[in-house]
Amino acid sequence: MNAVEYKAENAVSERVENIDFKMVAFSLAGKDYSIDIMKVREISKAKRFTYVPNSLPYVRGVYNLRGDIISIIDLRTMFNLPTVKSDKNKSDEIIILRLDDYLLGVIVDSIDKVVGISSSTIQPPHPIFGDINIKFIEGVVEKDKRLYIILDVESIFGQDADADDVDVVPEEYTSAPKYAENKSEELNMGFITETLRNLSKFNVTDLNNKWVETRFKEWQKIKGSSSEDLQLHSDQDSEEFLSRFYSPDTGRLWSEDYRNTVSSLLENSSKGTIRVWNPGCGMGYETYSLAALLSDKFSEASIKIWANDRDLMSISNAPNLVLDRQTVPECLDRYIVPVGERFQFSQLIKDIVLFEYHDITHANTFPPVDMILARDILSFMSYNEQLRMITEFQEKLVPGGLLIIGQNEELPGNDWKKIKGNNITAYRKIL
Amino acid sequence: MRVEYINPFVEAAFDILKEVLGDDIQRGELYLKSTSQAVQGVAAFVGLAGNVEGRVLFDMSMKTALAVASEMNGETLTVLDDLGKATITELANMITAQAVTKLHDLGFTFDLTPPAIFTGDNMEITDNEVEALIVPVITKQGKIEINVAVRERT
Repeated sequence: MNAVEYKAENAVSERVENIDFKMVAFSLAGKDYSIDIMKVREISKAKRFTYVPNSLPYVRGVYNLRGDIISIIDLRTMFNLPTVKSDKNKSDEIIILRLDDYLLGVIVDSIDKVVGISSSTIQPPHPIFGDINIKFIEGVVEKDKRLYIILDVESIFGQDADADDVDVVPEEYTSAPKYAENKSEELNMGFITETLRNLSKFNVTDLNNKWVETRFKEWQKIKGSSSEDLQLHSDQDSEEFLSRFYSPDTGRLWSEDYRNTVSSLLENSSKGTIRVWNPGCGMGYETYSLAALLSDKFSEASIKIWANDRDLMSISNAPNLVLDRQTVPECLDRYIVPVGERFQFSQLIKDIVLFEYHDITHANTFPPVDMILARDILSFMSYNEQLRMITEFQEKLVPGGLLIIGQNEELPGNDWKKIKGNNITAYRKIL
Repeated sequence: MRVEYINPFVEAAFDILKEVLGDDIQRGELYLKSTSQAVQGVAAFVGLAGNVEGRVLFDMSMKTALAVASEMNGETLTVLDDLGKATITELANMITAQAVTKLHDLGFTFDLTPPAIFTGDNMEITDNEVEALIVPVITKQGKIEINVAVRERT
């Protein structure tokens, strides 16, 4: 063996030794993805799955794999990628995964090949991977000039994925600050925090801390500095303290000013459908105001608003909300119809909105949305619920989607792109 | 649950129970529930399909079921035999069917599945992902909880 051959063989064996990670590569919506081969049991082709009623939208059905009944999941639907109409006679390509103690099939566009790489070349995911939530990505690797995104199947399909979310508390987001007991002002503030929670279910966290502190200073000016006078003794006191908290036009139709503010945040889009989620819609005034605004602005699009509230008394009248003429701003004239001496919204607007008696801390089953209108509701949830809902908002919004929260609320952290505007706090989901 | 669906179920439960058990019926507070829940002893189950998907569950204790079945048959039953079970199943069917008829008049199309009945001690129903509306009805035979979980098909 001459020196050149020896060198070449050595180089080959060195490369072979380095390959310690094999993955199954597949494509989905034109991008290359891969899954660790140790999680893959086999690859299969199948069609016509048995549909299961009441299952989540991304579950295509169940499939009999040589006697084992396994669930089949459509990755495109799960990751909110545009779905293509599938040919009924064509088989789908399926990767059968072996998770802890069960099997699961995932449908992908096409399975490519098995790629061997060195695990040291895997790089951590970068936040700009818009299509898929970053927590589902294990890493990225380049091989033969192709970039593969390695999916973390445990966190996507693992059963305790939801439980994990709650544990991950962003460091910068904390519950009510602890006040030193020796300073009377801070002690008073601590009492206020406590009574707001007990009387009005208002939870002081980083979400609204700034407002509560400013309001407390005002409160001292109005009520005097004696700690007895400062305290909130009853529901009325507590509501008085919070009276300045609520966003403009709460509990009534939006004025033209506020409507213009919201309108300025809406980007022109040529999308065929616009989906909106309006949790905590109360009596439905804000929902109808938004429905009218969206129909004016996007007359071509089909608009759908899911409006929920957990207060049965408020929401039960919402579908047939009755209005007095003088409370309706002029810009809504074309959307109301007379009913006896009073008015209601026209069927056109009613058809846009779906009012549901629903507690949003339970499972929210509708598809991803382009906009979330959630004014002044997070503050009235417990600290853990707030965290969970913020994550849920992040997951429910499409990339670039708009989130409007209460005027005096503020999302901590840098996960969102804040949009400037008067009297309004709004964010866009980072692409 | 869509607001328009609530009243038909509450009204139907009331109308039918009044008709078969007499006037002395009270309604408890409506609420939403999403966790697994214990079943009191007898549960009649009717599935819903069509524009929506879901189910209605009528949950009561064995004692209540016996008293209700006795009242409806005009004789005293001591065990929940085939007749008793058929009676409770029929009650579930009547209430759900009337609710569905009312909903149909409002323009919502629902189909029913044949009712089924479950009996036994220490039963629990777990469908965490489904939010249910609970309509408690207090009759002189005992409490009947009507548990309605319906959602739009997306």
